[in-house]
Amino acid sequence: MTSGFWHQVRAVADRDLLRERRRGDVLWITIPFGAIALLLVPLAVGTDAALLREIGPGLYWVIVMLFGVLVAVGKASSDTVPQQDASLLLGLDPAAGFVGRAAAATLLLLIFEVVVGVVAVGLYDISIIGVPWLILTVLIVAAGLALLGTLTGSIVNSTSAGTALVPLLVAPLSVPLLLGATQAYEGLRLGHSILSWVLLMVAVVLVVAIIGVLTARPLQES
Amino acid sequence: MSHWGWVALAYGVTYGSLAAFAASIAIRIRKTRTTLGENQ
Amino acid sequence: MTAQTRTRRWPWAASALSLLGAFTLAMVSPADSVQGDLVRIMYVHVPAAWLAYLAFAVTFVGSIAYLVARRLSWDRIAAASAEIGVYFTGLTIALGMIWGKSTWGVWWTWDARLTLTAIMFFVYLGYLALRRTTDDPIARANRAAVLGIVGAVQIPLVHFSVVWWRGLHQPPSIIRPDGPAIQDSMMLVALFVGVVAFTVVYVSLMVKRIELMHLDDRLDAAERAGDQPVAGEAVTAPNLGGSA
Repeated sequence: MTSGFWHQVRAVADRDLLRERRRGDVLWITIPFGAIALLLVPLAVGTDAALLREIGPGLYWVIVMLFGVLVAVGKASSDTVPQQDASLLLGLDPAAGFVGRAAAATLLLLIFEVVVGVVAVGLYDISIIGVPWLILTVLIVAAGLALLGTLTGSIVNSTSAGTALVPLLVAPLSVPLLLGATQAYEGLRLGHSILSWVLLMVAVVLVVAIIGVLTARPLQES
Repeated sequence: MSHWGWVALAYGVTYGSLAAFAASIAIRIRKTRTTLGENQ
Repeated sequence: MTAQTRTRRWPWAASALSLLGAFTLAMVSPADSVQGDLVRIMYVHVPAAWLAYLAFAVTFVGSIAYLVARRLSWDRIAAASAEIGVYFTGLTIALGMIWGKSTWGVWWTWDARLTLTAIMFFVYLGYLALRRTTDDPIARANRAAVLGIVGAVQIPLVHFSVVWWRGLHQPPSIIRPDGPAIQDSMMLVALFVGVVAFTVVYVSLMVKRIELMHLDDRLDAAERAGDQPVAGEAVTAPNLGGSA
């Protein structure tokens, strides 16, 4: 991959982040949606502190998986078909487009995870332990989910079902990330080694990244 | 429910759904062939 | 019966025959010492599960083959296998629930295999949902192929995560999700014949489903041809008004 490739990646990522700064979908819509979900659950299952401390971490990660993916959807399908054709003609490498969009989505997902995480810690009295590993987990989940969401968004593209279909497709495939994140937190709480879970999540990131790069061109030419 | 009751349920579900699935394909084939026959 | 009808009906005949054989063996084989006659549920549950995974693998291979060779026949194989696979996955789950309820009194046990099968079911459903959103056959094939590959490659990762997860949270020891150990060679034969019979059924369903796809394609082509103007502009509308 030449420096031109990374140049394009940077350009695409910058454009997506600029779009977010202008429209603010993540900041004003997706994050509040995740936060209110955390608010609704205790209304339904009960506000007992012990119960909430028990389900809090798992519930947080589920909300990240289900709602966080919406962050990546907006990015991938925001290009209309004529815009995509123009990009191709101008020599944009589809693989660079994929990596760039995924990079922007990763950053936005990180913001999502942190803000919604603060809400979760507050509402559910979740204890923060093993900060370095926790940060690593948050980073890997952001990358993995961003890659899954971007790739799925490219697959669904400008079809009619669009936004509703991407979360459905990503949800089952995000299970390794979900289990990895929740078991990592459990492991940190109990003092176990969580290396295998971290490696599993890294494997997800690598696999999706490779497939996304390899299939970028065939997908673009649909 | 007795053991044989459960076994009957399991086999009923299996063969019943299989028959329904196969029948749906067969019926659609027959319908499409008929439509094509009219056009040709 | 014409030769053509015989050719078209062999899949159904073969399936019916092999299922009959499997059923007979399932009923005739001995009852298990622990599970009693409930073990006979295994003779349909295990073959259904085998087929669910086989169909998935075929969709995976078809998806790769399509992206490499760019022939729509591979896409048809992948799509047909996904439809048949979703059916067998659903059947596996239903039979697993019947097994669970009859043996331990609960419809769902959250054991690794059942949970993994449920996740696979949703992956299949997503694949079929995606195909429904695109009409253009080439675009649909491209998109479905990529999803087929992503889904299939993720499944081993999902498998590991679910198995490790269950390993850390052992269910009570009285519940053994693996089912009874096969003690009798007759039981092994019944199971094996069941797997073979279901595989024959799978191949038959594939043949018929792909035949239906071909017919649908021909119908689409015929309908499109019918929409075009007759003989182009050489024919004008009849002049119905006034003097001639």
